[in-house]
Amino acid sequence: MSVTRRDFLKLSGLAAAAASSSTWVSAVMAWQAEQPLDPIRHVLNRMTWGVMPADVSRIQEMGIEGYIDWQLGYEDIPDPVIDAWLEKYPFLNGTARDVYLAAHSDDRVYTVMPWDRIYRATYSERQLFELMVEFWTDHFNVPAGDALGEKVVDDREVIRRHALGKFRDLLFASAQSPAMLYYLNQAESVAEHPNENYAREVMELHTIGVDGGYTETDVREVARALTGWTVNYDSSGFYFDNSVHDAGEKTILGHYFPAGRGIEDGLAVLDILATHPSTARFVSRKLVRRFVSDTPPDSLVESAAFVFLTSEGDIRQVMRHILLSSDFMGAHGQKFRRPIDFMVAMLRALRPGLDLGDHGAWLVWMLEEMGQFPYAWHPPNGYPDAAGAWMNTNGLLNRWNLALLFPYASEGWWDEIQLDLNAVIPPASTAEHLVNASAEAILGGVDRLSLDDRRLLADFVTDGSNPGMEMTDDLRADKLPGLIGLLLAAPVFQWR
Amino acid sequence: MSQLALSRRSLLKSFGGLGVVGVSSGLFPLWMPKLVFSPRFQNDAPENHDVLVAIFQRGGMDGLNAVIPFGEGALYYDRRPNIAIPEPNGSDSSALNLNDHFGLHPALRPLKEVYDAGGLTVIHGAGSPDPTRSHFDAMEYMERGTPGDRSTSAGWINRHLMSAAWQNDSPFRAVGIGAMVQGSLRGQIPALALQSISNFHLQGREDQLAAIQNTIASLYGVAAPPDRLGAQASEVFDTMALVSRMSSLEYNPANGAVYPETDFGMALKQVAQLIKANVGLEVACVDIGGWDTHESQGQVDGEFASLLADFGQSLGAFYIDMQDDMSGVTVVTMSEFGRRVEENASGGTDHGHGNAMFVMGGGVSSGVFGRWTGLGDDVLDDGDVPVTTDYRDVLSEILLKRINNPALDQIFPNYQPNMLDILAAR
Repeated sequence: MSVTRRDFLKLSGLAAAAASSSTWVSAVMAWQAEQPLDPIRHVLNRMTWGVMPADVSRIQEMGIEGYIDWQLGYEDIPDPVIDAWLEKYPFLNGTARDVYLAAHSDDRVYTVMPWDRIYRATYSERQLFELMVEFWTDHFNVPAGDALGEKVVDDREVIRRHALGKFRDLLFASAQSPAMLYYLNQAESVAEHPNENYAREVMELHTIGVDGGYTETDVREVARALTGWTVNYDSSGFYFDNSVHDAGEKTILGHYFPAGRGIEDGLAVLDILATHPSTARFVSRKLVRRFVSDTPPDSLVESAAFVFLTSEGDIRQVMRHILLSSDFMGAHGQKFRRPIDFMVAMLRALRPGLDLGDHGAWLVWMLEEMGQFPYAWHPPNGYPDAAGAWMNTNGLLNRWNLALLFPYASEGWWDEIQLDLNAVIPPASTAEHLVNASAEAILGGVDRLSLDDRRLLADFVTDGSNPGMEMTDDLRADKLPGLIGLLLAAPVFQWR
Repeated sequence: MSQLALSRRSLLKSFGGLGVVGVSSGLFPLWMPKLVFSPRFQNDAPENHDVLVAIFQRGGMDGLNAVIPFGEGALYYDRRPNIAIPEPNGSDSSALNLNDHFGLHPALRPLKEVYDAGGLTVIHGAGSPDPTRSHFDAMEYMERGTPGDRSTSAGWINRHLMSAAWQNDSPFRAVGIGAMVQGSLRGQIPALALQSISNFHLQGREDQLAAIQNTIASLYGVAAPPDRLGAQASEVFDTMALVSRMSSLEYNPANGAVYPETDFGMALKQVAQLIKANVGLEVACVDIGGWDTHESQGQVDGEFASLLADFGQSLGAFYIDMQDDMSGVTVVTMSEFGRRVEENASGGTDHGHGNAMFVMGGGVSSGVFGRWTGLGDDVLDDGDVPVTTDYRDVLSEILLKRINNPALDQIFPNYQPNMLDILAAR
């Protein structure tokens, strides 16, 4: 069953928006290891979507700092699997119109984009880059429901182009992206009746933050300054229409804007916002929340904001600062995996072959059940980051069900998924050994489970008999999918 | 290896949301006692309180086109040349007259029927006093119940449950329909996020399911949850157990009520099912999104009318379905803010302030209430309808008279409610 445009619109009609605020963080107890986690493991947990054996060898070879710099220099990391994927769907490299033309003859186009999110996160070698893409996709949220074609372009030309570049470039690209111009009604904003939607959110959500020091008057003045920023219908590109621009004088955030200007008004507003100290602090706080902890340490936020300001908003340098900080190194186990994080971590642990077959994307629908269908969050603030929003009954039950069902892909249940559990879990002679080997492969170490938990899992394998029971091929085949499911469903796998 | 109890086909079917792979209710007694549930499911909530259904219209409903102040004449019509709803003339393309000053949007005909039957109260010019026009701030403040103050640690409904004089350990005590729990429900008292009653079970191979459930329960320590995640896991197990005992997951609405096949319609249908199943539900939160109508909101027809149609038909169906039980239910609706009086250039409306709230239920008598001050330039708040009734005045009256929780100082700290006296006490 593939995703149709109708499905997308239906999804994007939902707006459980208030669940998002970080200030709702309640005391969430993070998972605590019985022993301190290997720092290498921690760095990989946070800098990748899930640890693969190849990542471990690489970081051991490069050292932690070397690995961070290697990932930050993502342009130099070859990514053949993703290159091959992109070749299959040329419209991903095309214009909005190309996307709509493709969609006209093939409804699966609407499945490709959410699937693309899962696929690239799972298989790209540029893991940190893909995490940054996810971060900015939330930060500059545009749901694809109303404008799939424009969002495909926005993803490529705004988010991916600048994900580790300069914040100023990212902001300007977003402000001139048809997807954003349509979504927040900037495209129709004219001097006679300015539309304030984008003007408000560009300050509240994209730059200086709601407490960043703007007033309702500033919102109205920014809306005036941006009148005429629209989309050219023929080229589907950004277009400044001077005839509907309000050229009167304005005062914005304490800056005087003389009368008689055109596009310069909007450019000046974006410049003020891009370099505002509140922006440095607001963006840094969000990055620290995503990469370090739901309760961002103020000292790290401040030092990251300093790097932001002194580097003229160089995202790469801000990230390097955060990833090399002691707060980052000490924050093991404090981030609860969001649904996409959970799913991709599972996929990276099991390394199945994935193909968007005719039956379409079961995995995509599972993300909907868990509340995180890619590119379908309707309010402009992006999917919530903090654990409080995700740690609930519905989310937990659905991730257990995903964990418990997915290993049966090894029995050929889904055409688009090829899974060989025997390639992931080495041979084991006893039930106890099987549990240990599985914990090693899925969790990265036997010691990530308590002795009691290991005993429970061995009991599952033997139906409560002797944990030293010999593993026959039949017993292994009968119990291994369930055992893997339990490991994926276990508390430890929900944290990173 | 043992036979798979399920075919691949039936599994695939379940992914469509049909939930084929159920747990037979007979399975639970085998393992339930191991989980030491004895202290749970105590419910000594008195019979004398209504079930509260709190509906949040996310995005900022345009209250002026939902409950049209046609009696304001040019003050309304001149500011909305393209989107104003004509004054009542008896046709389906004009407002439905309520009291010769206000009328409902024609798409709200099902609510007009409730109004005519004496079951719908409208409060106009209501809202949160905080001046923010940010969706997220406004929603957060409203759901905390402390406008302008983020330091409160829980939502207002959670504080109500915490301060209530009775105990109720049912996992269904507080339910948020959807993938996430609403802000008003968050806090110390656990609240259930529920998408679908009939799908609320573990999926997997039937012959191993009992063992799987036992193992997960033990891994999370649900018998004595060590942390918040364990507590959530415990809620999942309690809920699964209770759902499996509900006599039938098939639900047929009473009195020929027909819920629209929308997320909102299906959500209200599940709330009705839970109320009738008598599983300890005290509060349900339901969201309906899409109200941020900055462009092309339409007039008698169009985008806003479709939203209202979904809203009105779903609530109307709930009212018909709940008929016999409605005397013990209070439904209240709110939205983070209303919209500006003047339409914008895109045929839509920008963020405003005061708005219309609806209350439906046992203690209600029909009418349009509030402290409406008109739409004159001198009374507008920066071009917006002023908030003349604090939404907490409406909620306080519900809590006091219908829910019988007098601890208003804990639910809305530092606020002295000024009630409208529009509800009958239970």
